[in-house]
Amino acid sequence: MVEVAWDERDGPAGVALVARGVPPGWSASARVVPSDVLRGGMPPAGRAGMAGRWADDGDGARFVPRFAFLPGRSYTVLDGEDRPVATLTAAPAPGRPTARVVGIEPALSVVPRNLLRFHVRFSAPMAEGAATRHLRLEDATSGLVLRDALFALDPELWDEARCELTVLLDPARIKRGLAPHREAGYPLREGGSVRLVVEAGYPDAAGHPLVEGAEAVYAVGPDLRGRVDPGAWTVGAVVPGRRDSLVVAFGRPLDRRLVARSLRVVHEGSGVVAGAVDVAADGTRWRFTPAAPWAPWAPGGLALVVDPGLEDVAGNAVARAFDRDLADPTDTALPAGRAPVLPVPSVKTGPE
Amino acid sequence: MAAQDPTDGFVVGDPGLRSIGALAFGPGDVLFVADSEGGKVVAVDVADPATEAASGPFDLADLDTTLATYLGCDVGDVAVRDLAVHPRTGNIYLSVMRGTGTAGQPVLVRIDRHDGSLADLPLDRVAHAVAALDDAPAEDDPRQDVRLGEGEPFEFNGRTIRIARIPARLSAITDMAYVDGTLLVAGLSNEEFASTLRRIPFPFDGRQESTALEIFHVSHGKWETAAPIRTFVPYEGGQSVLASYTCTPLVHFPMAELVPGGRATGRTVAELGAGNQPLDIVRFEQDGAEHLLVSHTSHPLMKIACADIDVQAPLTEPKEPVGVPRQLPDLTGVSLMANLDDDHLLALQADDTGTRHLRSLKVASL
Repeated sequence: MVEVAWDERDGPAGVALVARGVPPGWSASARVVPSDVLRGGMPPAGRAGMAGRWADDGDGARFVPRFAFLPGRSYTVLDGEDRPVATLTAAPAPGRPTARVVGIEPALSVVPRNLLRFHVRFSAPMAEGAATRHLRLEDATSGLVLRDALFALDPELWDEARCELTVLLDPARIKRGLAPHREAGYPLREGGSVRLVVEAGYPDAAGHPLVEGAEAVYAVGPDLRGRVDPGAWTVGAVVPGRRDSLVVAFGRPLDRRLVARSLRVVHEGSGVVAGAVDVAADGTRWRFTPAAPWAPWAPGGLALVVDPGLEDVAGNAVARAFDRDLADPTDTALPAGRAPVLPVPSVKTGPE
Repeated sequence: MAAQDPTDGFVVGDPGLRSIGALAFGPGDVLFVADSEGGKVVAVDVADPATEAASGPFDLADLDTTLATYLGCDVGDVAVRDLAVHPRTGNIYLSVMRGTGTAGQPVLVRIDRHDGSLADLPLDRVAHAVAALDDAPAEDDPRQDVRLGEGEPFEFNGRTIRIARIPARLSAITDMAYVDGTLLVAGLSNEEFASTLRRIPFPFDGRQESTALEIFHVSHGKWETAAPIRTFVPYEGGQSVLASYTCTPLVHFPMAELVPGGRATGRTVAELGAGNQPLDIVRFEQDGAEHLLVSHTSHPLMKIACADIDVQAPLTEPKEPVGVPRQLPDLTGVSLMANLDDDHLLALQADDTGTRHLRSLKVASL
């Protein structure tokens, strides 16, 4: 009678299988396979088993896998005649659901019809490849899923920490002139309302579901067109010698992630000014608080430098619109590499 | 003078792959491996043990189950990312993710062309060189990375100041190709829509010529859009590139236009329609003429004669049919493709039940 058991003598990272009561030479033809591949009923004839090696172990044989057994998965030991000897299930991953959705952007009540993307921020690193199953966009009134509105990307777009997922609305349906746009129209309908739903079953990096699902509801407004024009921004004034915040209002919702890294304050004497940045949740305002009081400057000597790659929520950048009408002479692009510079006005205090 | 060994300067150790994706063979035994999560490309010396080039067709039934068995996991834990055939030996290389999240493990599998047996390269002790792509600043302070003295100059109060553009982080590397000492890397950013095509000289020396090259396309002569390239293939001896955008137009670029600081506008040669995404492009020769084969998520394979691309005028009228491709309706379910030998392509093809097989496609029959 062959008995098979887990063997954790090398610790949890080196779990092996031990078969007792086997005849000499038994392991030369025995195989370990994931039970999942036997679902069809037939052992995989002619196919090698799981990568690893058998070694004699006292009165039995020990299988050390090349790749660690996965939590919660079942494994079957087959003898040389392809007869199942035993099936064991590895312990499930420890822990319980802890991850939540901490933000869905844009944080707007009304989005433009040509909205390009959503960002979903989680409190912990998440699994990949689950977005098409656990994230959906539906009509907020009827609850019907808007088919082919979200762009199924493989691989998915995650930030480095795997905590923030970026989901595009199908760009081929947003771009004017392309066949998918002509055939299927915009993914969103002006005047309607949509709901982005993150299901509670969305798995985190350890495979656990979320503590709870999340959703965001948006009304759909008119298109957001044309380049992001820094010349149309409202740049607040600051007082030399004080640590007032510099506030810039954009007049349209910009992509928050890009805003956070696309603006720099430059001083004629000290170069780039250090400080703390705060971007309004809706992406329409930027607040910069310098680490030290503003040093005095000559007129024009304090300025905001804008990265031309900065985009709004519809993918229109400072350098170029998302899609531009070549017949419209006002719909221009900025020369490559040109970074707009905006002077920061000063407010003088006290008598002249 | 003896040619330089392309693996000179490689170090043996763990390149720290956090993920594994696009593959492209370079000179000799060098295989470029994309690590989107780690923000880098690793040149790996695969040290292929075969001494002779294999030829002839190769087929392997139910690839996913074969891989799951070898890797000791459920079929659903296997994600095949890319496929490459070693030009010298004909052995087949697959980049595979085993599981996701914390349990996710990148694996580089080699399939022996003669007997179909599987092996994997020990990625924790392999001869390699690394090219980092992820030069974006730390998440917690975007301004740490400001580098005065580089980048485009601008006038500021009578002084010339340079502030480097921080390149958009490539969140997903979607395709790579090696041409004459240069690795081309296409990808998508989770930040900016219009990511650039990166050029990395090999052997790696820290240089990257990419940041200011913007890729555009014009649809029907009326609308211009910046667009990320999803998949591409060089042809005409590296003179031309056929690329496919995420929004599915097939475009042609002269390689000479893809220069740093440039602004490349692809000539649209075909449109592919709604609900369809490009997956892979390969080049092959049939009766002495160069052709390209394009796979997609929902359309059958498309075959394109390169000569037709050269004479195709830019698409200007929104009417059907659009452009040069011809469909091969018998070949459905094909995703990844690679050149197996002069007479065959290797394709990952799903059958009617969704089971995926490695199948040889005879070039003469395409």
